[in-house]
Amino acid sequence: MKKIYIAAFVVSAFFFTGCADDYLDVDQTESVSTDDIELYNNDAGASQFVTSIYNKFLNWDMTSFGWIGLSSITSDDADKGSSPGDTGTDKDVLDALTYNASNPSAESTFNANYDGINRCNQALNILPKLDKASPALRARLTGEAKFLRAFMYFTLVKCYGGVPIVDHLPVPGSDSDRIMQLTRKTKAEVYAFIESDLNDAIAALPEKGAYAANERSRVSKGAAYALLAKVSLYQKNWQKVVDNCNKVTGYSIVNDYASMFRVAGKFDSETIFEIYAQGSVPAKGIEGYSNTQGARGAGGWGWGFNTPSQSLVNAYEPGDVRKNATIIFRGTTLYDGRVIPTTVENERYNYKAYSSAYTDAWETDVDIKYLRYAEVLLMKAEALNELGQTPEAIPLLNQIRKRAGLGDTPYTSQGDIRTAIWRERRVEMAFEHDRFFDLVRTGQAKAAFAIDGKVFTEGKNEVFPIPASFIKQAAGLSDQNPLY
Amino acid sequence: MKNFIFSFLALLLLPAYMSGQTIKGKVLDSSGMGVPGAVISAPQSRTSADADFDGNFTIAAKEGEMLKISMLGFEPVSLPATSGITITLKESGDTALKEVVVIGYGTRKRIDNTTSISSIKSEEITKTKVLNASQAIQGKAAGVQVISSDLPGSTPSVVIRGLGTALGGRTPLYVVDGMQTENINNINTNDITSYDILKDASALAIYGTRAANGVIIITTKKGKGDNKVSVEVESFAGVREPLKKVKMAGSNKYAYYTNAALQNTTFSQDQPVNTDWFDEITRSGSYTQNNVSVSGGSENVKYFFSLGNYEEKAILNGLGYGRTTFRNNNEYKISKKLTLNQNFSFTSTKSTPKPLGAFTNAYKQSPIVPVFFPDGKYGVPRVGANGFANETGSAFNNVGNPVAQLDFFDEQQKSMTLQGGLKLDYDILKSLKFTSQFNGEYYTWKQYNFEDTKNVWLAANPNKVASDYEKEFPNANINLLTKGREDYYNWNLANYLTYNKVFNDIHDIEVVAGIETSVKGAREKLTIKRKNVNSDANYWALKDVEYAANITSYKDEVFNEVKLASYLGRFQYKLMDKYLVTGTVRRDGSSNFGKDYRWGTFPAFGLGWVMSKEAFLADSKVISLLKLRGGWGKLGNQNVPLNRASYTSGQNGYLGGSILNEGTTINSQIDPSLSWEVTEETSVGLDFELLESKLKGTLDVYDRNTNNIILNTKPYSTSGITNVSPAHVGEVSNKGYEISLRWDDKIGEDFSYFIGGNFSNNKNELTGLKNVILSPVIGGGLGNGQDTKLLDNTTIGQPLGSFYIYDYAGFDASNGKMLYYNAAGDKVTQDALNATTDRKYVGSSMPKSNYGVSLGFNYKNFDVSVDGYGTNGAKVYNGKKAQRFAGENIEESLAVDFWTLNNVTASNPAPFNQVPVASTYYLESGDFFRINNITVGYKLPLPSESFITSCRIYVNAINPFITQKFSGFSPELNGDGNPYGTQGVELDAYPTLRSFVMGVNLKF
Repeated sequence: MKKIYIAAFVVSAFFFTGCADDYLDVDQTESVSTDDIELYNNDAGASQFVTSIYNKFLNWDMTSFGWIGLSSITSDDADKGSSPGDTGTDKDVLDALTYNASNPSAESTFNANYDGINRCNQALNILPKLDKASPALRARLTGEAKFLRAFMYFTLVKCYGGVPIVDHLPVPGSDSDRIMQLTRKTKAEVYAFIESDLNDAIAALPEKGAYAANERSRVSKGAAYALLAKVSLYQKNWQKVVDNCNKVTGYSIVNDYASMFRVAGKFDSETIFEIYAQGSVPAKGIEGYSNTQGARGAGGWGWGFNTPSQSLVNAYEPGDVRKNATIIFRGTTLYDGRVIPTTVENERYNYKAYSSAYTDAWETDVDIKYLRYAEVLLMKAEALNELGQTPEAIPLLNQIRKRAGLGDTPYTSQGDIRTAIWRERRVEMAFEHDRFFDLVRTGQAKAAFAIDGKVFTEGKNEVFPIPASFIKQAAGLSDQNPLY
Repeated sequence: MKNFIFSFLALLLLPAYMSGQTIKGKVLDSSGMGVPGAVISAPQSRTSADADFDGNFTIAAKEGEMLKISMLGFEPVSLPATSGITITLKESGDTALKEVVVIGYGTRKRIDNTTSISSIKSEEITKTKVLNASQAIQGKAAGVQVISSDLPGSTPSVVIRGLGTALGGRTPLYVVDGMQTENINNINTNDITSYDILKDASALAIYGTRAANGVIIITTKKGKGDNKVSVEVESFAGVREPLKKVKMAGSNKYAYYTNAALQNTTFSQDQPVNTDWFDEITRSGSYTQNNVSVSGGSENVKYFFSLGNYEEKAILNGLGYGRTTFRNNNEYKISKKLTLNQNFSFTSTKSTPKPLGAFTNAYKQSPIVPVFFPDGKYGVPRVGANGFANETGSAFNNVGNPVAQLDFFDEQQKSMTLQGGLKLDYDILKSLKFTSQFNGEYYTWKQYNFEDTKNVWLAANPNKVASDYEKEFPNANINLLTKGREDYYNWNLANYLTYNKVFNDIHDIEVVAGIETSVKGAREKLTIKRKNVNSDANYWALKDVEYAANITSYKDEVFNEVKLASYLGRFQYKLMDKYLVTGTVRRDGSSNFGKDYRWGTFPAFGLGWVMSKEAFLADSKVISLLKLRGGWGKLGNQNVPLNRASYTSGQNGYLGGSILNEGTTINSQIDPSLSWEVTEETSVGLDFELLESKLKGTLDVYDRNTNNIILNTKPYSTSGITNVSPAHVGEVSNKGYEISLRWDDKIGEDFSYFIGGNFSNNKNELTGLKNVILSPVIGGGLGNGQDTKLLDNTTIGQPLGSFYIYDYAGFDASNGKMLYYNAAGDKVTQDALNATTDRKYVGSSMPKSNYGVSLGFNYKNFDVSVDGYGTNGAKVYNGKKAQRFAGENIEESLAVDFWTLNNVTASNPAPFNQVPVASTYYLESGDFFRINNITVGYKLPLPSESFITSCRIYVNAINPFITQKFSGFSPELNGDGNPYGTQGVELDAYPTLRSFVMGVNLKF
């Protein structure tokens, strides 16, 4: 009897040892395990990973208050706005160009874009493993992820200069990946990386017509060419600008400028890359985008930040329809009949962030058109002019002016046309998050800010500070931008 | 009971040889239980034998020959041999020799134990009339810090030898009759027979990866095999009231102070109303407990049944708690070698919780506000032109009416816990026993909460009517019903062998080896919120009605299962009853961790030297016992934050195929090496008994280090990962000592007394952090956007649970404004403070030391005992006071002495309306000494042939007195039990209560 017991005990102990490891593998039930790739191994599942990248653009930190501060309030088009005492955390120092290395808007924009880049890298990592999704779909999704990664690196390089290139998922504990994450690359390296991603995207993406109506916010080949043109523009690679602009086909400028920033203008013939927002329940809009820029005070609906400057008002030629399509003036009636009472705190507000149906909602139906065909025409005009083909540039410029209700440009010389195109870009694309970077790109910044009475320090203010929190993490591997 | 424990001891075997005739007999103890292992010797025949598990023996001896019977823990006996003799041994007074401690997978005589274990007897646990046994042992075990709350049904925090974790579980492992569990609220204290606290690593290592917070082994009662039926009835009833109240300003002083703050005369200083909100929300509490137990049995079957009921009407209006327990423990002796123990317990609780925020609101709401306006509407903080509260005036604070808050709060919770187990002991050989033990527990919980949204709004806005609600909130709910359901099933299976043998009379060896698995089943939780339900609770759940359209939230969660697989072994060796060696090892595998990091080994050893058995002390008149012991061991804490890799849930907020879908990604980085926190401890202890064991004492010194505590780290910002990753980054040290002493004596036949005390001191410190980016642990929130506690890279050198706040520097005599020291040492106002540089660490909410004293005497039929408890070195934050917004009530001490131009040397700053920053102004000493319990009992003299064998009536005063430095209600603030939560912060805190109890204990 006792022998049986001992034997049973010993045997059970061995049995236990053998199986113990399997025995300890429990199923994960409170969250979806990353081991469970099969759950997403189909067309819908594969799309999810890229959808999450687009979704990032609706986030507060990616596209809203901090980004508005960095890309718009800093520029001569906009003032801080709001109540004098309400700094919006740091919008006063952004407006005055006196921000320092721990500027919250610069930090949140940096972090948000890397958050988006992680989503791109996650998608690029998993898509090859989803072998039950259609290969054509996976190829397209890969193209979308690369476009979006390029777009975010373009934002980063414009804002900060050279930044670390995280081109794959870092492995925790890996020293080379640690160095990858903490070491800034040069501006040229970042641009090369962007171009490489865009070329991959071009090869993989379909024309915009290939998308169904409910997928039209996905990027197409045209978007990739347009972005490549813009990236080339920033590198003054003029011939490449022209070549890529020429490849942006199937688009046309719409007749009514103002319509583009209303619900009716969503995905019109001019739009190339648009951040889509939905105001109806369940609302999926850019968090706080309309609200932070909405009219403030009695009769208003928002925080009143990012108000159009007097300098911008002055930039419009008489008769330019774009002025009243871009700026809400206090005491006027909007297209939908809303009267802006004189009791609101600021004289002007951003019309392009105004939602008629969901005016005071946190998430509204206001889209952002990051790339549209008018800019392609202007880029091409600018490049042709720089290449000495001024006569070819002028009709493109006039095309834009005509839509705005203006006559042909009176200028003909290369120098005059250059300035005319720059000025046209300003009024055409005001409040579309382009002006500050355009000033820096074209070297007009110092002079432009001087008119506003602000000091743009050359060699410093071309870029924003790298977040102090990152410099601390980098522990010597990365340096701060000069003079911060 | 002792015999039950003795039956766990393996047999001592001495060689016996046969000669002549044999005598058969039996050795029993005074309760009629067999005494296994008793040594019977026949000097004349030069033979000896020992009793088996039932006390039976057979010895080769002659009829009439003198037999000597001896057993450790009993007085030796000599008497002539007769066949079939039954010998009853009398227990010796030498408690150290017979006392047994439970050591996990076995028991050991205290004298032979090398580890540090505090054993609390059942009468100590039931003496203080509280619900949870751990609250009752407060102050009774050195090195065990109990922070409790008198909130009915709450669970006290038990910290054994200091905190060794910041984010991990802090609760000791409870082992109830073999069931490993985390809470003992379901255990009726009257059913407990022993409560053993394993304190040092050498004792704890046998529980491996769950031992780092200490282990408490609870054994419940069993029937005696004396062929008698014992019935015990225990009933008491008591009244409860707050031990201490805070004196508030009262209407006119409130008006004076608030006017001064506002610098106007908004409030009349001749108020018609003076509401004492604390009185309005509280009532005289009462509680009762009734228990009946029946036990008994024969030699082969022993049984114990008990039924208990606890009901409390709490001091907070509407708060109630009730618990019913049933227990049945049986032991079956199936054969000579096979014993089966079965236990089962059932507990159901029912409670009507109320929000403790009412205490804060009562503290803050102005006394000029009536509970009800004359028209019957709830009072609101609005002031009219006459300076009195009215329904339509302008609002002067944002505090709700606490009476309305309680009236509208409608919640009920019910739970049921089933615990049970089977334990099989099989004596394979006399010296080898096989034990198989299975335990399981099932818990189910249900709750509803009804929020009468619209009426709450109307109560807060007496100037509005019902139709205004629809107008102002066109799409809002009329009401909201939350229903919750939760259950889980945990089980545990252990198989082990115990080998015990004495070689050559001097080498006593005991070896335990076994395997075990513990499964914490998936906890399932369902929470459904439904709007606009019928106002009659009877009609919330109608048959065949589809509620889908009104559901506003539906959460269905199944939490991850946790499995443990373990191997355990222990070797205990005793040489000549003097030299003791223990070696323990446990190897645990846990499903919580990655494949390569889930197995860990936890070794320990202990050494002991019973010096009093040495020749040089053997004859000492002073020293009865002197034992030096020490050990080292490694322990784990597997209850730590985990970082299971998961997809961010794309299912949440799904919008079909649209691009607006949140999509799926991975937003966490996994540290694959995450594993348990490991604590290493070295400890030395001394046990002594002096002066014929009248003075007993224990001294312990320990040094424990947790070298890999888990904190959350932030991935590099360029990784784009925003979720934090738990990683092993910190080191925590706990160093301390414990002393306990007790003196027992008798004066004459009728008077015996004792006096005892213990003191323990622990130095807790975060000793190191790896160079990583920490996600700071921020805690002690005051509910106004401010926090009081911090753990980040600056915390090195500070104790866990440290307050991190501004340093108050007095007020400016010229204007009465509060000033604070900034980093440079200058006194500045709060607007000039820098949150990153100017705050300081100013002490922890955890006490540095605590002590208990107890004394008592028996005189004839009377028994009297007093227990006291105190702590030193803790800080408490007066959160309710610190939270003050404009127009809220103040304490009287402030209202009568604050800065004005005429009183620039006042003890309080000028009235202010700005919310003050968290500062040392509101930090107070948590030191206190409290009499926890006074018991006076009287045993009625009964005729010896009475049906009732014992009747004791008693009165208890629980927490009758306290001396405290804290100006709030109670310096003992368990809060959420988290040193980085609300522990040590008096905000929404339930006050400590004083209770008077009368009861009776009857035995039949």
